[in-house]
Amino acid sequence: MTSVNATFGEVAAERRIASAPLSHVSIELGHLYMEDFEAGPERLREQFRRVAPWAGTVRSSWQDRVPGGRARVSTCFLIDDYFSRFSTPAELVPMVLEAAADCDLTIDYIARESACAVSDGVELARLVEDRLVNDPPPDTNGSRPPVKESGWLCNGARSPQVGTVQAMGKANRWAPPLQNAKRGHSIFVDVELWDENGGKRTWSCPFLAAVWQLLRLGLLRTDGRLPLRPVMREDAFPDDWESLPAVMQLNPAAAPFSAYTTLSVLSPRFLPVELAVRTILSQVAVDGDVLRQVVARSGGEGIRLEEELVDRISYVFA
Amino acid sequence: MLVMGEVHTGLLQNSGEIPESTCRDVLQLLSGERVRVSRRPIVYAVSPDLLTGVDCRLPSASQSRIRGAGTVLSRSSITGGRVVQGSSFTRIERSGSDRRQPWSHYLARPGVVEVLGKVKSRDLADGFAEDPPADGLDLGAISARFLDVVQSSPLLDRRAPFKIARTRLRWVAEEGEPAIRFTLHSEQMRTVRLVHTGEFTPAVADLCEDLALHDWLLTALLVIIERARIGGTPGPEAAVKLAPAVDHLLHLWMPSARVDDVLSAYWESLDRRPGFTRQWQSLVDRVRDQLAVHTLAFLREKSGGGAR
Amino acid sequence: MLIFAISDKGGTGRSVTSTNIVYRHALQGNDVCYLDFDFGSPTAGAIFSVGSVARGTTRKGLHDYLLGEGAPEPHRVDVWTESDREGLRTKPPGAGRLVLLPGNEGGGELPAVEEETLRRCVQLFSRLDEEFDLVMVDVSAGRSFTAEMVLQATVRLPSVPFRWLVFHRWTRQHIIAADGLVTGADGLLDAGTRFGHDRNALRDRIRFVRTAVLEPDAAELVGLRDEQRAWLFACDTELRELASRHKVGRTSMLGKIPLDPILQWREQLISDEDVLASKIANAETAAAFDDLAKKIVDDAAWEGL
Repeated sequence: MTSVNATFGEVAAERRIASAPLSHVSIELGHLYMEDFEAGPERLREQFRRVAPWAGTVRSSWQDRVPGGRARVSTCFLIDDYFSRFSTPAELVPMVLEAAADCDLTIDYIARESACAVSDGVELARLVEDRLVNDPPPDTNGSRPPVKESGWLCNGARSPQVGTVQAMGKANRWAPPLQNAKRGHSIFVDVELWDENGGKRTWSCPFLAAVWQLLRLGLLRTDGRLPLRPVMREDAFPDDWESLPAVMQLNPAAAPFSAYTTLSVLSPRFLPVELAVRTILSQVAVDGDVLRQVVARSGGEGIRLEEELVDRISYVFA
Repeated sequence: MLVMGEVHTGLLQNSGEIPESTCRDVLQLLSGERVRVSRRPIVYAVSPDLLTGVDCRLPSASQSRIRGAGTVLSRSSITGGRVVQGSSFTRIERSGSDRRQPWSHYLARPGVVEVLGKVKSRDLADGFAEDPPADGLDLGAISARFLDVVQSSPLLDRRAPFKIARTRLRWVAEEGEPAIRFTLHSEQMRTVRLVHTGEFTPAVADLCEDLALHDWLLTALLVIIERARIGGTPGPEAAVKLAPAVDHLLHLWMPSARVDDVLSAYWESLDRRPGFTRQWQSLVDRVRDQLAVHTLAFLREKSGGGAR
Repeated sequence: MLIFAISDKGGTGRSVTSTNIVYRHALQGNDVCYLDFDFGSPTAGAIFSVGSVARGTTRKGLHDYLLGEGAPEPHRVDVWTESDREGLRTKPPGAGRLVLLPGNEGGGELPAVEEETLRRCVQLFSRLDEEFDLVMVDVSAGRSFTAEMVLQATVRLPSVPFRWLVFHRWTRQHIIAADGLVTGADGLLDAGTRFGHDRNALRDRIRFVRTAVLEPDAAELVGLRDEQRAWLFACDTELRELASRHKVGRTSMLGKIPLDPILQWREQLISDEDVLASKIANAETAAAFDDLAKKIVDDAAWEGL
């Protein structure tokens, strides 16, 4: 009898990872909070006027980079419906679109901030929290579980607790906190990820912003699937936020929502928030298969992506 | 350059074996990620891979102070609903730089520890296989915690059929001419040094987990037989003590079940010498013979009693 | 199973009795280990005649482990191979493992129960329970953070069976103090209930062990005058009444260890050789240990009161 080459497969034993359609760059044209809304449409127009030249620059620089100038650029706009609820989509969205159009900007996608916490029953924020791998201070050899202050994340080692160690033992004295990969001196950052009140968890603004960045980079999966897909707009916008899709596509001709890189044009007042976002993102372990998938896709297009995902994110503070 | 790993193996803390669905729930360590299960030839369920960050001294036979930073990849698994393993490994690679990089650099290379500075591969491998320094990379502690996580699941009743120590198997894999050396150290400690052709693949870690699983089975069966004191205690007593082996262990021996074809030669060579399967088979025969002898004695006693 | 050994006061013979119980339990064919949680004075090594850890270990001991001083696993001593006593150095056929986890030499009492320490304690108990039939924990004397820690740890291990042994001497003060340690303000029941134990269920898991008991009809007392014997008898009767009033009486007593000179002068394991060959120990003492070693795992002896 000749030998037979047998193959046997089991679906439950294999891992499948969906791939996301990707643009070259996702440009965030703005982030709307209650106070901006209360200030009226003029504030919005002002913001869009500041953003427009930067968006144009990024678009043309990618057109130069991509063979044939066929850069895929998508734009998005995030509305806060998590920390405060105001107005209705029916009233607000047309106002935002109009103000953008006044400045010759097209908003391709509009997203709700609460979708970064939970979307379609998937707790995206929880998903990202589970993927935090703490930046280990020197002499972390695995013998102890990572030091975690519940709800906090830092970029180094916190000050030791002052107090005694055992009866009649030596007391600990204060020592400064240290940044792990410091250059000369420390810039120690400790970020609150969430707090809890009466059993209800509220995610912090930087944490949701980190989720937002990961969504825009197309790096999140749940059970191998994409956690959310943009929904094409209908004629009328709903009267309550829950009825608005997590991410709504406004421009039928838009390039994909997620992209190899992101650009956010923000007011300088968001600088501390974005430092916190980078602190978080530099400790999120993205699935190895997803990372390889994105690198292979971009490589196929002749684009060399930055290895570290925080380097795929850029900002303009204007 | 080389890969270091450590596998801890123990008896699942439950009275009986647990079904596949419970394995899935127990091993659900990461939201949004499925537990992978294969059912042939034995039910094997494995948690998603998780990362642990480290920045510490690496083992070195020459006692050099070598520092490495990066991540260790770990997982928990359950075989046959009965045996649990915590397994960790990391690829050691040279770094382009002598200084610690921002953490995002390391997270872009999951499961890799980069050596800061100069290092000889052989020096590291020898240091790890021997007695690694207490303040150095401790893959064992990480694996032990991945085993704890399963054992402390509220879905388990903690009424295991017998008490048994966990075993630990520390392994190093390097590239070169294929070879494998399996060494028994103390009662619980084993090392494997493996040389493979071509690049490292996770299949090498699977092989080491499979070796650890079967070495634990052998160890556990030996302990049970020793406790039964065959010949030193009355037959029925010995038979009672042997029963857990029949109930919980004998059907689990499936060497090479999940081992990549390319690597099955390693199992085959270990089966030639020292001959794991041979030893297992002879122990199984001993247990079955004992029980048969005991059954015969019992039947004779019964029929003898009936005749009077 | 976890067994916690505690006493109302120092000098009750708690350590020597609990070590002898685990020794006997090992001889009965079980795998046992002994945890020296008497952090202020970790001397269990001396009782097991392991000279290298007679006053605790200089390696990573239980203090280091619990306080997280770079010890993923505490130091283990295999008594059958490391004891200095020749009679202990070979494992008798059929005996189980006998392992000592010493405290640190020069260690001190715990300053408080930190979450990290508690977590490690739970991890330790859980791992040892996987491996050993019996885990004896010497908790030291009186109310302590150590007692608090193990009370909390057992709340977090609901499926791991545990029992408490309270050791006391057969005197008026000790009986009152032993009762106080269990039922008094901030005693085991109060504290245990506060940490989440069910008061009645916890009470069912506590038994008393009388140590250094001099029975009025003991052979040693043969030479006494009638008046002395009558006085002793009266005392004993009075103590029995007192004990039962304080619920430290016969029903909640698991066993008693007779007064034996060898234990008064040197705390050590009493081997069968000490009884049969050199005859330095009394047969009754060895028998009492043997009996206790069986009763601690005998559910009938632990049925609700």
